[in-house]
Amino acid sequence: MVPVSIQVRQALSKLVLPVLLLMSVGIIIAGQADRPLADKARMRVADVLAPLWSLLSRTQTDSERLVHGLKEARNLAEENHRLSAENANLRRWYEVAVSLARENDTLKTELHWVPEPTPAFVTGRVVADSGGIYARAVLLVAGTSSGVQTGNIALAANGLAGRVTEVGTHAARILLINDIASRLPVELESSHAAAIMVGDNSPLPRLLYYSQDTRPIEGERVVTSDQAGAFPSGIPIGNVHYLHPGQPVVQPFARLDRLTMLRVFDFGQSEIEPPEAPGHVPLTRPHRALTLPFKTLLGPGQEG
Amino acid sequence: MPDPHPPRWEHDTETQLTSRQRLDRTARHLLPSVFTALVIIFFSAPVNIPGSAELLPAIVINTVFFWSVWRPSGMPSLAVFLLGLFMDLVGFTPLGVSAFILLLVHGIGGYARFGLMRMNFLVVWCLFGLVGAAAAALQWALACLFRLHLLDPAPAFFEALLCIGVYPLLSATFSWFLHILDEKDTP
Repeated sequence: MVPVSIQVRQALSKLVLPVLLLMSVGIIIAGQADRPLADKARMRVADVLAPLWSLLSRTQTDSERLVHGLKEARNLAEENHRLSAENANLRRWYEVAVSLARENDTLKTELHWVPEPTPAFVTGRVVADSGGIYARAVLLVAGTSSGVQTGNIALAANGLAGRVTEVGTHAARILLINDIASRLPVELESSHAAAIMVGDNSPLPRLLYYSQDTRPIEGERVVTSDQAGAFPSGIPIGNVHYLHPGQPVVQPFARLDRLTMLRVFDFGQSEIEPPEAPGHVPLTRPHRALTLPFKTLLGPGQEG
Repeated sequence: MPDPHPPRWEHDTETQLTSRQRLDRTARHLLPSVFTALVIIFFSAPVNIPGSAELLPAIVINTVFFWSVWRPSGMPSLAVFLLGLFMDLVGFTPLGVSAFILLLVHGIGGYARFGLMRMNFLVVWCLFGLVGAAAAALQWALACLFRLHLLDPAPAFFEALLCIGVYPLLSATFSWFLHILDEKDTP
């Protein structure tokens, strides 16, 4: 150290603070003038400190997990009790289900039941909320090469999602049930009454055209109906919910806003040709001209 | 003005200190700065402590003020400057602002230390409250100035309140610590 007198040293030490204050002001100005440099310096410091920070945050997560584990352990006995009760209940239902299945089998054998064909299905990944002409439609990576055809039915994990409207070699567009263009015949499960489910681009499609003596009940399950021949009956869609009195909507089981995988079923509905019968109105098919049998039944000049 | 260097008359005895004692003394002088640096690192880490953004400047201002008043050798100006700069680098305040504010707090503490040391704790607390509020207000004003529009003053107010509220706790801790150090000094 350079030997200096006491006076000089004291004077110097008095100068330190003002000099540092000036320096900090200089740094403020420099930092404002050259922001990239300041940011670079910040990033370098952050780089050095990153391991320390990660250590700290890991310690914190670990301790949180420990606390959480302790809390869990306290609830464990209660949880165990609840689970064993639930298990006993489920076991009882399992027995019931087994006996019912057996009874069902016996009855079907008695009745010479014609077994329904198991529908073929392919599973595809939803890749895009495609626009196109529909507001609520998704694109699926499965096309004619995988056997998907127009009119096939797309199911999400736990309910109906939509219908295949256009199909390419490797992709298919699926019109979701909440699109404004979607109108499906449905059945209210408890009353077996028919209604039409109409999408309106909102997450909850509306129920219309139900008969006034069998109104939808809140919470009732809604399933597809085979009225138009487009769907097999009994595919679960959702629950009835009343947004306002007199305005029932369906809460779909499928989470239509975040679809990731869809199964596309070919129920072979288009192959089912009902036998011709007098008075029977054949359904409109896109490839068939509608021929009304009324003409023959009604007298000339009486129609329209 | 505190003298960060040991007085001249101590110089002769210092040469007779063992290396262990010298190490001890260095550690003692560095301790407040190291504590503050650790506090800065801890509070700038992504730990979710409520109000950590306001708590950090409050604790640092408290620490700097306390040591500037009671033991300036533990908190020299250079250390204050570096700590402020470090705080600016890890935080998101404009570079140099914290250094400036901390140096001001340090300067006020050092300037008024002989008056403050004679006063009652409550009076010191009140005076420190003024200093802390002024520091928070200055920080807010500078931030407004650099962003060129009026910012919400609520965080600055919160910071000032935290600054005042934390003082008794930190003061008690540091006093206790000083007491231990002094006891060790005079066996």
